[in-house]
Amino acid sequence: MATSQSSAQVPVTVLTGYLGAGKTTLLNRILSEQHGKKYAVIVNEFGELGVDNDLVVNADEEVFEMNNGCICCTVRGDLIRIIEGLMKRKDKFDGILVETTGLADPGPVAQTFFTDDDVKARTRLDAIVTVVDAKHFLGQLEQGDEAEEQVAFADVVLLNKTDLVSADELKKVEDRIRSINPYARLHRTEKSKIELDAILDKGAFDLNRILEFEPDFLEHGHDHDHEDEVTSLSLVSDRPVDPDKFQKWMGAILQIKGPDIFRSKGILAIDGAPRRYVYQGVHMMMDADWGQPWKEGEPRTSKLVFIGRNLDGENLKRGFQDCLK
Amino acid sequence: MKLDLGNPAWQAELPPQRSIASDAPVAGCAFSHDGTTAAFALGDGCVRLLPADLAAAATPAAPPVHKGAVLALAADPAGDGFVSGGDDGRLLRLGLDGTVSELAEQKGKWIEHIATHKASGALAATAGKMALVVKDGAVREVGPHQSTIAGLDFSKDGGRLACAHYGGVTVWSIGQATLPPRRFAWAGSHVALKWSTDGKFIATGTQENDIHVWRMAQATDMRMQGYPAKVRSLSWSADARWLYTSAQPVFTAWSFAGKGPEGKPPLQFGQEGAGLITVVAAHPAAEFVLGGYDTGEIQLGDIKTRRSVVIRMADSSPITCLAWAPDGFRLAAGNERGDLLVIDLRR
Repeated sequence: MATSQSSAQVPVTVLTGYLGAGKTTLLNRILSEQHGKKYAVIVNEFGELGVDNDLVVNADEEVFEMNNGCICCTVRGDLIRIIEGLMKRKDKFDGILVETTGLADPGPVAQTFFTDDDVKARTRLDAIVTVVDAKHFLGQLEQGDEAEEQVAFADVVLLNKTDLVSADELKKVEDRIRSINPYARLHRTEKSKIELDAILDKGAFDLNRILEFEPDFLEHGHDHDHEDEVTSLSLVSDRPVDPDKFQKWMGAILQIKGPDIFRSKGILAIDGAPRRYVYQGVHMMMDADWGQPWKEGEPRTSKLVFIGRNLDGENLKRGFQDCLK
Repeated sequence: MKLDLGNPAWQAELPPQRSIASDAPVAGCAFSHDGTTAAFALGDGCVRLLPADLAAAATPAAPPVHKGAVLALAADPAGDGFVSGGDDGRLLRLGLDGTVSELAEQKGKWIEHIATHKASGALAATAGKMALVVKDGAVREVGPHQSTIAGLDFSKDGGRLACAHYGGVTVWSIGQATLPPRRFAWAGSHVALKWSTDGKFIATGTQENDIHVWRMAQATDMRMQGYPAKVRSLSWSADARWLYTSAQPVFTAWSFAGKGPEGKPPLQFGQEGAGLITVVAAHPAAEFVLGGYDTGEIQLGDIKTRRSVVIRMADSSPITCLAWAPDGFRLAAGNERGDLLVIDLRR
């Protein structure tokens, strides 16, 4: 649609994390900094603390299945409605912060920004920020899938309450986080204290900014592989990619494994193409485009990353190999 | 006096209009039942009134009545003023003389939609998962629904209220509180609702860019697909023969005369706009229809002759609302940028 605002999409930052991890403290920190910016804040009904801001909207987390035959295609109906309502206000704002409940699945929130055309026209998902309670995270992993999936979805992890644990405990928690998601930027914090530029305006879903991604650590410090565990997998090749084969392969993976794949992204050196092909996705939703041209003499390396549950590494490796020239 | 789209003068020049610039998006517009006044719901909390008579001096802007944005507006079914709802959770009755009285306040909720029933003087508004029904000075709540209500409308006789939500539509008997609500299920989220002017059908627009229509008598339903965007605006012709829908570049009408629309394409007519229609409004009595586009263009269509004329040129700001005056000659419109329009179709 040709609207005059389409060039000025409002960035949306999603703050997630288990109960008591420090989301509301982080939210209040963002709002109280003297940044001269105006934020609309969408908080869940069961917020732990009050939020001090002019524009706070209470949301029921209304997760809607799309009636389109796609099993993992769920969206946050309340977000679609609230974003539309916020755009009717005279006061404009520089960003929207969405706080999820402690037990929320970040999937529907992220998918809302892939699925709904009206939301896409007016806003862009900037990043998913997950606050982790250093003291209780390992225990929370035992209580259900939520804590693990919140880390799996994250672009930025705040490992919070580091003052409440020993150096050993901290290392253990950090290793565990990185075994789930080595690609998120990890910051150690106390009382959710963080520089705002570490969490805002990250462009984590911006295809133009997927230039390089490297794991945020060098060694995989996690060696026990439980069933059902969330892990990541990266595939690299210097051989050019056959675009038709790749599309077929990726389409099939997402069709079958979509519900288990939380995040995926990639940079591809397509056979004969002068520019990188970049994509990123959440579950079965995918965004893709041509990126920066390859420079003269630059090694044309393709790189793919999956973060998901029950990833069959061997199978994925073989499948990717078959897409290469 | 007749609207004559075949008149060459109509093709050659735009009808007389008043355009006032406000600096807040327009969420809704309506004419008072006495036809004297157009009102506009604005994103700065104001409800701006303008005289329907283009020769009269413009009414000055009044202070905000809502804190935040006005989200819903309708003619007062029990008087000559208006009723408004805002993101401050307040439902207000606004007199033409500037008086403001509060009908309800729901802290922390948004009042996003209002429906009215003129003959009984009843009005209904959404407040999250509940609907508020205001009649004879009493406020009654119906609900809760499965999700926040995304559209509501009265039946022709005013005895029932239909609410659209995730998973379908719920119809409440508001005359007799003892009757249980009726559920009309269809998976997915429903984002707009209009009850047909003869009371026989309920139509919704869905999150999946379809429309869904239930036949009340048999409780059978039908689904119409093929829209490139969500159908947020639905409007039934006065004789209930046609259901007009937004989200197409030309006027699009489904026939509900005779056996209904099953198995038939919709009737599409008029000049193709550069963008998509965002709002449709059927004429209160005759065979005409208004369409506002996401480009800012407004067209007047005539389903009998299948012609249309442009009555406002595109200007890049999407039309957000359209309303006919009771006389059927004047109309009001608003856009995202904040232009308030009153147009008189008589030459």
